[in-house]
Amino acid sequence: MKNTTPFLPSTRREFLKLGTRGIGLLAFSRFAPSFIVESVAAEAPAAEKDRTILVLVQLAGGNDGLNTVVPFADPNYRRLRPTLGLAGNQLIPLNDSLALNSACSPLHRLLQEGRLGIVQNVGYPNPNRSHFRSTEIWETASASNEFLPTGWLGRYFDNACNGLPHGDPCGVNISNEVPQSFLAAQGHATYSFPVNARGNRGRRESLPLLESMLQAPAGQEHEHDNSGYLRHTMMDALVTEKRFQTFLGDYKPGAEYPASPFANSLRNVAALIAAGVSTRVYYVSLTGFDTHANQLNTQNNLLKQLSEGLAAFQRDLESKKLDGQVLTMTFSEFGRRPSENESKGTDHGTAAPLFVMGSRLKAGLHGHAPDLNVEHNQDMQYSTDFRQVYSTVLDKWLGCKSGTILGHDYQPLGFV
Amino acid sequence: MKPRQSGGVMSIDPNRTMLEKLATLPPADAWQALPASLWDESAARHLLQRAGFSATPAELARVLKEGPVATLHRYFNQMPEFPRPAQVAELAAESPRLARRLKQDWAPEQKRLAQQEARERSRDALLDMTIRWLQLASRPENSPAEKWLLFLSDVWVVSIEKVKNAALIYRHEEILRSRALGSAVDLAKAMSRSPAMVVYLDLQQSRRDAPNENFARELFELFTLGEGNYTENDIKQAARAFTGYRQLDGQFEFARRQHDDGRKTVFGQTGNYDGDDIMELVFRQKAASTFLPREMVRFYLSETPLPAAYTDSLGSQWARQGYDLRRLAVMFFSSRAFFAEDFRGSFIKSPVQFYLGLLQDLGLNVAPIPRQVVGPLRQMGQLPFDPPNVRGWIGGRAWINSATLAARRQLIDALLHPLNQAALNADDTMALNTAASGGATHFTLDEERVRAWAKLPPGEAAARLLACSLPGRTDDALRVRIADFLQHGTGNPEAAVRTALGALLDSPDYQLC
Repeated sequence: MKNTTPFLPSTRREFLKLGTRGIGLLAFSRFAPSFIVESVAAEAPAAEKDRTILVLVQLAGGNDGLNTVVPFADPNYRRLRPTLGLAGNQLIPLNDSLALNSACSPLHRLLQEGRLGIVQNVGYPNPNRSHFRSTEIWETASASNEFLPTGWLGRYFDNACNGLPHGDPCGVNISNEVPQSFLAAQGHATYSFPVNARGNRGRRESLPLLESMLQAPAGQEHEHDNSGYLRHTMMDALVTEKRFQTFLGDYKPGAEYPASPFANSLRNVAALIAAGVSTRVYYVSLTGFDTHANQLNTQNNLLKQLSEGLAAFQRDLESKKLDGQVLTMTFSEFGRRPSENESKGTDHGTAAPLFVMGSRLKAGLHGHAPDLNVEHNQDMQYSTDFRQVYSTVLDKWLGCKSGTILGHDYQPLGFV
Repeated sequence: MKPRQSGGVMSIDPNRTMLEKLATLPPADAWQALPASLWDESAARHLLQRAGFSATPAELARVLKEGPVATLHRYFNQMPEFPRPAQVAELAAESPRLARRLKQDWAPEQKRLAQQEARERSRDALLDMTIRWLQLASRPENSPAEKWLLFLSDVWVVSIEKVKNAALIYRHEEILRSRALGSAVDLAKAMSRSPAMVVYLDLQQSRRDAPNENFARELFELFTLGEGNYTENDIKQAARAFTGYRQLDGQFEFARRQHDDGRKTVFGQTGNYDGDDIMELVFRQKAASTFLPREMVRFYLSETPLPAAYTDSLGSQWARQGYDLRRLAVMFFSSRAFFAEDFRGSFIKSPVQFYLGLLQDLGLNVAPIPRQVVGPLRQMGQLPFDPPNVRGWIGGRAWINSATLAARRQLIDALLHPLNQAALNADDTMALNTAASGGATHFTLDEERVRAWAKLPPGEAAARLLACSLPGRTDDALRVRIADFLQHGTGNPEAAVRTALGALLDSPDYQLC
């Protein structure tokens, strides 16, 4: 969308210029777009060209870690996985005892090139096996028995993300729901794309009128939180939408992305990074990992989508020399139970490995492989706390004191 | 109190009834019926918007005269009938054949094609069913019952994504419909036998020697009790009671040899329980009495939970009434709490409500063109029969983000402008012609109406536009602004009318009810 309406500002300067045309009061109301409020409040820092960026990839449903990074040499693996156990050409060995699922072959190439790290057996004490509760625990970085109203990235926004240049959102998610990780104590601008974002049909002449309505509620007597929330979100969305649609439309990727919604999401993330948007956190989601029955093909297809998408994203960033700025990390709410069930599937479990990808990390295996010496239907014991992973990312990658965000100091890991 | 009429628009009377505030209502009294002195047009509108999708002028007049309790007995007397759509019936009849084909020892390519055919048949049938359900629900007299069904299916969730067979989804809705106004215990038992549920939560694979815990876990966590009201062991034991539940070609079957009839200990009680026994035990837990009331509050009233004392009070009254769902609905929607000031105009409309309410406000019918209906609903974040996961839709502020707002705007655009005939394919045109021959028209804003509005003096036109978008919530400043826009807008007057109406429907206030 190239023809921008003169009425809707997309930069602070444009916005303030409009003051003389009757919209000025907006800048001082609590419904002003975030970029105005934040810039005024926090003396916006200059754009950082070499800023680090985190891309979080959610594997929703609970990815089966044991069939992702496979302890093939452990006799327990065969015992626990009599039909689901991978062998032979289903595996790409990493060392004497571990192998990658061959559906992850693009990731294996990245590993060989020093672009991929695997953090093994990540979990937390007293694991919860509810999808929603465990997702919440991961996204809020809480203890198992602790309920936090804000997400770990939201708290990062609260601490380190005031006043981004151009009113860029602190976080961008490409999913239909705003992730719980983004929930913050303060109202930060975040931006959501639908998974299959297409070009915009173009804004209409109603914008001036709509803006004047955003300025003053129609029914003053009904003013309340949800109304303010809607006003704020709408104004932010209108301003950001204009800029982002242009970036996505104009983008020429430097690598070919496979034709999947997930890969398309990553392509859009690359487009925004390449456009120099100052957002530092992106969140994309791949769903369908809840494999209670007939797991083998389902999980392999998902891992293939994941690996091909991630590899294309990395190649694209490399071609644009942006790879040094970006760290990509996967997570899933839990792993699955070591014993397969009678439906050729696996039930909700505990710890699992996660992937980190980028050009400035210490590639290879981190942490310890799980101990599979467990009874039938018993769960694995995690060896790395997921908050150690977060603290590593916060301290060493995003450059933010993790103790403030996580409430405790966790022993960092060596992947950054 | 008689609402004051001015310029064709209801204005808010400065001397209007003082509303009750929730905080001033003792929890024990909060679920009493609203006193007649507090029943007025604003209350009737609140009832229609919250229990249904919007307040059409005709229904509003009728409800205002009938009063809340009589109205609710009318709405919840019996569920509207939803005849099985032809495509769903065909799919159900064909399912055994399609399933057999998939089991045959065919070459992978042949199998893939058979699978693809089954998937496409199911997808078409589901689209057909979605359109027909929206048509049924869009009729104002049906709206509250159909919204109630949507609520119950947002508790007893199944999803086409996993079930993959529209005939099973239809059957699930049919079972819900048949029990929606009866006992919640009976509903729970019937839900465990729903073929779609048997597939969705893996009862199909659950065997005597290998109980699958998926159903038992979600039954406790998301359908009846809520987290924290059961132990991991309760789940494991209850899972055994549901072993042997099967479906074959869309019919429930009980595989006795796969059922574990041994002793189980659930919630501290021991016996040779079967699935129905577990449901009886569930509804002896206090948590079962407050779970559904809490879900109702979340779905209908407020994304902030009420203080526990209120839902406890509603729950214990409901438990005394034998967990009767009709009585729960009537008690809830006629209560002083429901009509409290806290909840007036403060709730974010769900996408389904936004869509159906928009049709009602504009006097439109559901277009029989699946992709024009289903696409917007999906992008706004709520496609019926396709919830994001087993928890259902979160609702509230989670409906609103930049992506879903853009989708709401696009839907308004589409409804305010004539169908683009050139963009229709042959199927669409045929569906439109079939609908038109059955008397259904008005899929987009009537051009006659737009022309008539455009001929009015700007002040009068502004008042009419407000009346069909934000009725009962007018202030003079807004009307003046709209009138001013109509008077000074560039382009032709009809375009200006559409633009102004579009902006009103885009506005934050229209997203609320």
